Amino acid sequence: MITGRNGSGKSTLLHQLALLDEYDSGEITIHDQKTSPLSERKRMELRLRELGYIFQEYALIGELSTLENVMLPAMMLGSNKEAKAKALELLEKVDLKDKYRRLPSELSGGEQQRVAIARSLINNPKIIFADEPTANLDTDSSKKVLETFKSLNEKESITVIMVTHEPDELAYASRQIKLADGRIV
Amino acid sequence: MKSKNRLPFYLAFKYVQRGRKWTLLLTVFLVAVAFVNLLFISSLFNGIIKGTNEQIINTMTGNIYIAPKEGEEFIDNKTEAVNILRSVEGVAGVSAQFQLPARLEYNKISGNWQVLAINPDDEAQVTNISEKINAGHYLDESDEDGIILGEQISGGDGVEQNAFSFKGAEVGEKVNLIFNNQSQEFTIRGIFKTKFINADGRAYVTQKALEKMLPEIDDKTSTILVKIQNNQDEDAIISDIRDENINGNIYTWREVAGLMKSVSESFSSINIIMTFVGILIAAATIFIVIYVDIINKRKQIGILRAIGIRPYIIVFSYVILSAIYSVVGVILGTILFFAALVPYFIAYPFQIPIVDVSLILDSGDYVARAEMVMWVSVLSGLIPAVVVTRTKMIDAILGK
Repeated sequence: MITGRNGSGKSTLLHQLALLDEYDSGEITIHDQKTSPLSERKRMELRLRELGYIFQEYALIGELSTLENVMLPAMMLGSNKEAKAKALELLEKVDLKDKYRRLPSELSGGEQQRVAIARSLINNPKIIFADEPTANLDTDSSKKVLETFKSLNEKESITVIMVTHEPDELAYASRQIKLADGRIV
Repeated sequence: MKSKNRLPFYLAFKYVQRGRKWTLLLTVFLVAVAFVNLLFISSLFNGIIKGTNEQIINTMTGNIYIAPKEGEEFIDNKTEAVNILRSVEGVAGVSAQFQLPARLEYNKISGNWQVLAINPDDEAQVTNISEKINAGHYLDESDEDGIILGEQISGGDGVEQNAFSFKGAEVGEKVNLIFNNQSQEFTIRGIFKTKFINADGRAYVTQKALEKMLPEIDDKTSTILVKIQNNQDEDAIISDIRDENINGNIYTWREVAGLMKSVSESFSSINIIMTFVGILIAAATIFIVIYVDIINKRKQIGILRAIGIRPYIIVFSYVILSAIYSVVGVILGTILFFAALVPYFIAYPFQIPIVDVSLILDSGDYVARAEMVMWVSVLSGLIPAVVVTRTKMIDAILGK
């Protein structure tokens, strides 16, 4: 988990690690592959196949149903049928299979974040990046999300890199990186 | 087709299906209004130009106008010339008109108007004066003391040139025709109204009446009008007529339209300018509406990029969305135009002192304007989508 005060550079670091933002110096290596020489197309491929994202404000597509949001990244790689089957499987895993037809606006904040988690898993990523995923959730919903992350990490060996403000959530971390003024302390 | 290739269509369909209905309706409505505006400007001016040209042909000149040669006052051998002209292929009617330099007098009001002596049956095959009788009836060939007056001569309330007219002369009343210091009394048989102010300032008597007044005029005429059959080539018929060696100068109606030719040409110029301005306004309106709609979705576009959707798929989905806006807008605009505007203008034509104008839409103009609206819409979707997919992804996601 990445922690630190507001303005310490947590989100910037996460965005750079996740290849959503550019960096001026240093190098980010994912699975022994340096990312700075990669073209935008290669970076996009890497994002699609290896990385998953969860944003603070869920970042679901408002015009797509729960199921469609989850299956969307998989439609870039395979058939609709395969994407749909995998998406339903993941929705079952996050306990939302019965709400697969709902639009994001018809779900609670916790449910939307679980949809975002399901979406981040659709292409079997090796790493999931989560930017304050519990910031807008109540205690129960936050706990469910963190339990899901823990389970993904322990049972499916997926690395979860998460930014948080909440000291309670550090109990779920296997490693903590604390930032202050853009430096690891 | 792979899911990836279907994805732009899939996304565009979802935007339409589940997007904000008011945004969709407003955008489509504005595209429709911009399209109707384009059609309206063009069709109104087409209506004015076509109406004006038809009025000139149908009330005053025919398609081909034959005048005496330079230095001559009349066309000789009128009967032979008329018969020759009738035999030319494609000619629908021929009418010889004798222009009387006469004065008309009624109730102590007198004035100089153009008085024409005609064979009523021949004239009815060339001009539509016989169909425009407002009161009374048209002339009979054997009528030797009957006259029909245009509305601008008879006058009355609502007549544009009432101040210079007989201010309400009616059918059955007498007018004097003063010609070569002779005065002859005529009875008003009918009053006609073509709505073309120039044609309505004319009066007609029969050839018989002329022969009675001027027996020495014999087989001469001032002008011969030729009406051609529909869809015939005017220039080809003029060429055929020239081969017949008619004793007169042969002109197309455009060459003798005079002032009306300038009016018609001015309307054509205004049409081009207004259409150009209309296109700019339509393009700006459509561009702004679609641009704002898509720029407002920059966060969504950023998210799509972040989860691995290729930029070309995102751009193409918005191009399809814009194309949907434009197609529906064009269909709605077409329905509004043909179901509301056209019937309205048929019921309440735009009135100018030349012709009652209704909307005339050329199919080529319709297609060109529809294509223009579609291209502008597609560009309006393409440009902001390309701009947003090229901005820093994180800025798009965070809405910076």
